[in-house]
Amino acid sequence: MKKINNICVLLVSIVLLAGIKSNAQISKAEIRATGLTCSMCSNAINKQLKSLPEVISVETDLNTNTFSVTLKEGNTLNPKIFKDKVEKAGFFIGSLVLTTKSEAIKQGGYLVVNNVSSTNPEVQFQILDKSYVTEKEFKKLSKSFKNVETYALNSEDDFHIKIIN
Amino acid sequence: MRKVVILFFALVFQKNYSQELFVVTDPASNIPANTLSARVMQSVFKEQVETGYNYHAMPEISYGISKNLMVRSTVFLSTRSNNIIAEGASFYAKYRVFSTDDVNSHFRVATFGRYSFNKADIHQDEIEIMGHNTGFETGIIATQLIKKVAVSSSVSFEKVFDNKPDYVFPSNQGNNATNYTFSIGKLMYPKKYTSYKQTNINLMLEFLGQTINLNGKSYLDVVPSVQFIINSQARIDIGYRQELYNSMARSAPNGVYFNLEYNFFNVIK
Repeated sequence: MKKINNICVLLVSIVLLAGIKSNAQISKAEIRATGLTCSMCSNAINKQLKSLPEVISVETDLNTNTFSVTLKEGNTLNPKIFKDKVEKAGFFIGSLVLTTKSEAIKQGGYLVVNNVSSTNPEVQFQILDKSYVTEKEFKKLSKSFKNVETYALNSEDDFHIKIIN
Repeated sequence: MRKVVILFFALVFQKNYSQELFVVTDPASNIPANTLSARVMQSVFKEQVETGYNYHAMPEISYGISKNLMVRSTVFLSTRSNNIIAEGASFYAKYRVFSTDDVNSHFRVATFGRYSFNKADIHQDEIEIMGHNTGFETGIIATQLIKKVAVSSSVSFEKVFDNKPDYVFPSNQGNNATNYTFSIGKLMYPKKYTSYKQTNINLMLEFLGQTINLNGKSYLDVVPSVQFIINSQARIDIGYRQELYNSMARSAPNGVYFNLEYNFFNVIK
């Protein structure tokens, strides 16, 4: 009986993990880029982000190199697209904070590592994986998440997140 | 001249922001992927032996193939033979091999290679495949941002051949050299950004040196320059090149640069 239970759990997990990518709809992304101080460099990231058809608008704070991206409803974007776009412009992500419906993160693919649950219908969270935080932060996080087995794997299919609100 | 150099250093190290969009040297950073950059570099240099001035124009197109690889093609035009004629062209590729970024710093290393051909007459010890000689150059560039000041340096090997069809490279001259550069730049305006439409003003100071490997003949030049970035998309550079030290025959070492550049982002949809 225990075996069957385990198999059931496994199957359910697989189904949920497979389903999540399309369901975890991101409505907003706040990207802080690192390694740049010039407005032409910033504009390169701005134009990369705007080239996505799912993007409604990009607001930029040039002094902090923060890009607030508003996305169309029903989009199926994965967080990885923001990393790819910033890196194509020649820079890196220092922090990425996403806004999604709260049920989206429960569906899987996202692993909450700060034991906070939000009661809001919309939830904001930061991605803590490698290449989504600065190199220094990643080193620190790797130490504090020694017990989280999946964190060190740097898999592109799961995201370790810290719920902000 | 020394005062000018000291003044530039004082301004550059004074505060905060930095820039690495250098006027005569290249940083280890590449242009963004899928961006096309069109630039016309123009220079007017004073002839040292003869009287008069040389005008060189170098229209060029750069393209970012990926985040790590960019290519560039340049055409060399000059009035050295009185009329403005195309004397040659160049192909260049730069690959970013290492990159480590933090909020206020980055360190990047890139390698590059350039091949140029030129049909102009050979009239000096200095070898320069950007508009004078046929040959190749390959080297390594490192660019570091420390406390928001960008410093970039490069070392390269340059070897030249005959300027076919008419001009043989003189056998009594060294046909290969070691080049080195050191550059520093700083954003002067705006102190605080408000939009992409603001014009940015940068000050740059670049040093370029060459040693002919055969005989040790060398030069060292300094290029102070001012740069305007317009609409975060276009660039105007005005620079002045001055010889600081020289032990070789050079036809026209001192002069001014005037460059215009425009960037087209996301050119291939």
